[in-house]
Amino acid sequence: MSEKIRSSRREFLGRAAAGGTVALFDIVPARVLAQPAPSDIVNFGHIGLGGRGRQFLRPEVKPGDKVRANPNLGGPGDRYLRPSRSVALCDIDSKRLDEAATKLGGKPRLYKDFRRLLEDKDIDAVFIASPDHWHAIMTIAACQAGKDVYVEKPACNTIEEGRAMVNAAERYARVVQVGSQGRSQTAAWQACQYIRNGQIGTVRKVTCWHYASPTGDWTPDAEPPPNLDYDAWVGPAPWIPYNPKRTHGAFRWMIDFGGGQIRDRGAHVMSIANWIMDCDSTGPVSIEATGEPPHDGMYDSAVTMTVTYEFKNPDWTLIWAQPGEPSTELEGRYGAKYWGDKGTLTVTYGDGQNTNTEQKAKDYKPLLGGVEVFRSPGHAENFEDCIRTREKPIMHIEAGHRVASLCILGNLSFKLQRKLLWDPKAERVLNDEEANRMLSRPGRGPWHL
Amino acid sequence: MAEKEAQFLKDIESSSADVRFAAWRRAGEMDPQVIPALANLMASSQPGVARAAREALEAITHSVGVANSDRRRTVIRQFLTVLQNNRAETVKAQLLRQLSLIGGDETVPVAAKFLKDPKLREEAAFCLERIPGAAADAALAGAIASAPDDFKARLLAALGHRRSEVGIPHAAQAMQSSNKELAIAGAKAWGRIGKTTAAPVKLPERAGLTEWQKTELLDSQLRFAEAQAANGNAAEAIAIYKGFLDEKEEHWQCAALVGLSKIHLPEAAMAIYSKLKSRNPRVRITAIKAWRKHSEA
Repeated sequence: MSEKIRSSRREFLGRAAAGGTVALFDIVPARVLAQPAPSDIVNFGHIGLGGRGRQFLRPEVKPGDKVRANPNLGGPGDRYLRPSRSVALCDIDSKRLDEAATKLGGKPRLYKDFRRLLEDKDIDAVFIASPDHWHAIMTIAACQAGKDVYVEKPACNTIEEGRAMVNAAERYARVVQVGSQGRSQTAAWQACQYIRNGQIGTVRKVTCWHYASPTGDWTPDAEPPPNLDYDAWVGPAPWIPYNPKRTHGAFRWMIDFGGGQIRDRGAHVMSIANWIMDCDSTGPVSIEATGEPPHDGMYDSAVTMTVTYEFKNPDWTLIWAQPGEPSTELEGRYGAKYWGDKGTLTVTYGDGQNTNTEQKAKDYKPLLGGVEVFRSPGHAENFEDCIRTREKPIMHIEAGHRVASLCILGNLSFKLQRKLLWDPKAERVLNDEEANRMLSRPGRGPWHL
Repeated sequence: MAEKEAQFLKDIESSSADVRFAAWRRAGEMDPQVIPALANLMASSQPGVARAAREALEAITHSVGVANSDRRRTVIRQFLTVLQNNRAETVKAQLLRQLSLIGGDETVPVAAKFLKDPKLREEAAFCLERIPGAAADAALAGAIASAPDDFKARLLAALGHRRSEVGIPHAAQAMQSSNKELAIAGAKAWGRIGKTTAAPVKLPERAGLTEWQKTELLDSQLRFAEAQAANGNAAEAIAIYKGFLDEKEEHWQCAALVGLSKIHLPEAAMAIYSKLKSRNPRVRITAIKAWRKHSEA
């Protein structure tokens, strides 16, 4: 841009500011400007109503009502739902749709096609709890329709999907929260504050542990049940015949749909790691995975797996291991141990229910001038607050994309059985043509990014 | 076939899952001559054997994935031969997926033939969409004329995803279709390709579109505007964004403000300024953020 144009623009900005308008807006925080009237109630739509999706349902909560939030959705135990109500439900399984409508009560509007739900002008925001391979397309479509989005973790199935989700949220100025709820747990916040204030020194290594994945069996393919629109269930993913052991719940063990433990629980444990290590907008420079898939059966995600991620500036190593070495300081079926040059700290789980840390972190209070980490009031509550303030939520989509990238790249290295050198800025693999082609996946039929 | 390869194929057919697993894990070391036999085994009625054969084919693909080489060319030749001779659709689909990862121009004419096969055209489009280069662009574009409308949309999506300029005339033509789904598919491809043409492109009329089709159309215009701004065609981008500031729904106004915040020209700043006092808090906040971004640039 020429200097002339640049200075003209600045002159204009300066004149406008001198007129008072900008000065006024510059000193009034966004949250004040966006405060809703007391009668404002956020109307939610729900896409995907399996076990997880149903946990987000809520009857009408009016301003002043004291309704306890679901304890499994991340946050302190004494939190209350914000004024809101569920007004519309969508699922491609009519049985699940009916069950959810019955659970909710009242007269929610029911949809089988998520696009019809998104056309509903009465809806402010959506909860997306579909299988992982649908997250990106549904989130992007919701942003296009002007809805704010809470999308379950992991954010996406490919690197390209994640970047497209970030772009859509930015393009439409939408609030997008990813459901790695551990960041809203008190223990994770305490651990983050403890480590960021240097209590274990400089952290050079984070080691995660998790039990192995199931190996699966051979269940014959079958006709899909009449209540399930199976073509819609497969959606953008490559076609595969219906099998009850690959759909509801079990999709997680297939790389094309879920991606195994590293994508399921890794999206919790490594979300906490990225948060504590302040890596929400960057990634590793190398990824190397070893391990074994099931020797037999239908599933193809790793049963055992160790992934080593190297980060630069600052230099540290993240290791995902299933089963791995559990911490001896604190018991948990999965979690991570942070290794500093002055000590260690363990954070178990990292999900919205069981997250825990050691007593020393719980007792810690930062000194005056120390690092004060934002404390989420609860994962869904933080999302709802941001709907009103238009600020970024604690697990915003860029952070969600970066965590999902760790999971995706771990699986990619595992599948290719070779080390990948990664450019976290360009989001490309260095010197590996096939790996780069696998960073995106053409959508099937009408489903494209 | 060498003894090593013969033993490998025998192991892939073993009744022991562990023996099959050990075999597929070493498949990348085998002579590509084993590929036709593996393709036949992929159609086995024994699911464990079929899986081992599929995994072995994938391992062979991955073993040549890093960069072009003589061995990669040999593997591709074997895949293409099987693709043209094996009768099983599941085998052909699998090979098209493998070729999407390592195939080049030599793969294009063979894969393109399947664009006319109703049962395999989706897999062929998947394969070609991933293969870089002008030959794949031309094959996808060349199939549009004779494709049924729903598959025309699929081909346009592939060209849009590839940001392929050869898709522009096809997208422009599709936008004038009386089939609204196809017209919107054309608009989506046009917006994603994001290149201007000598003759102005006529967008589909909004009248007669469903709510969702209107959303897709407007989103396509925004993507086109983003591309114009990124390519230095700020005037066209600003004109599009200004139009969006007049839209009734707040998110279209917000999108315009976000787009304008990236164009560091007085006209863009003035357009943002016009929304600083919007009564809609979302528009107002987005305008303030856009204004600040401008100020900081």
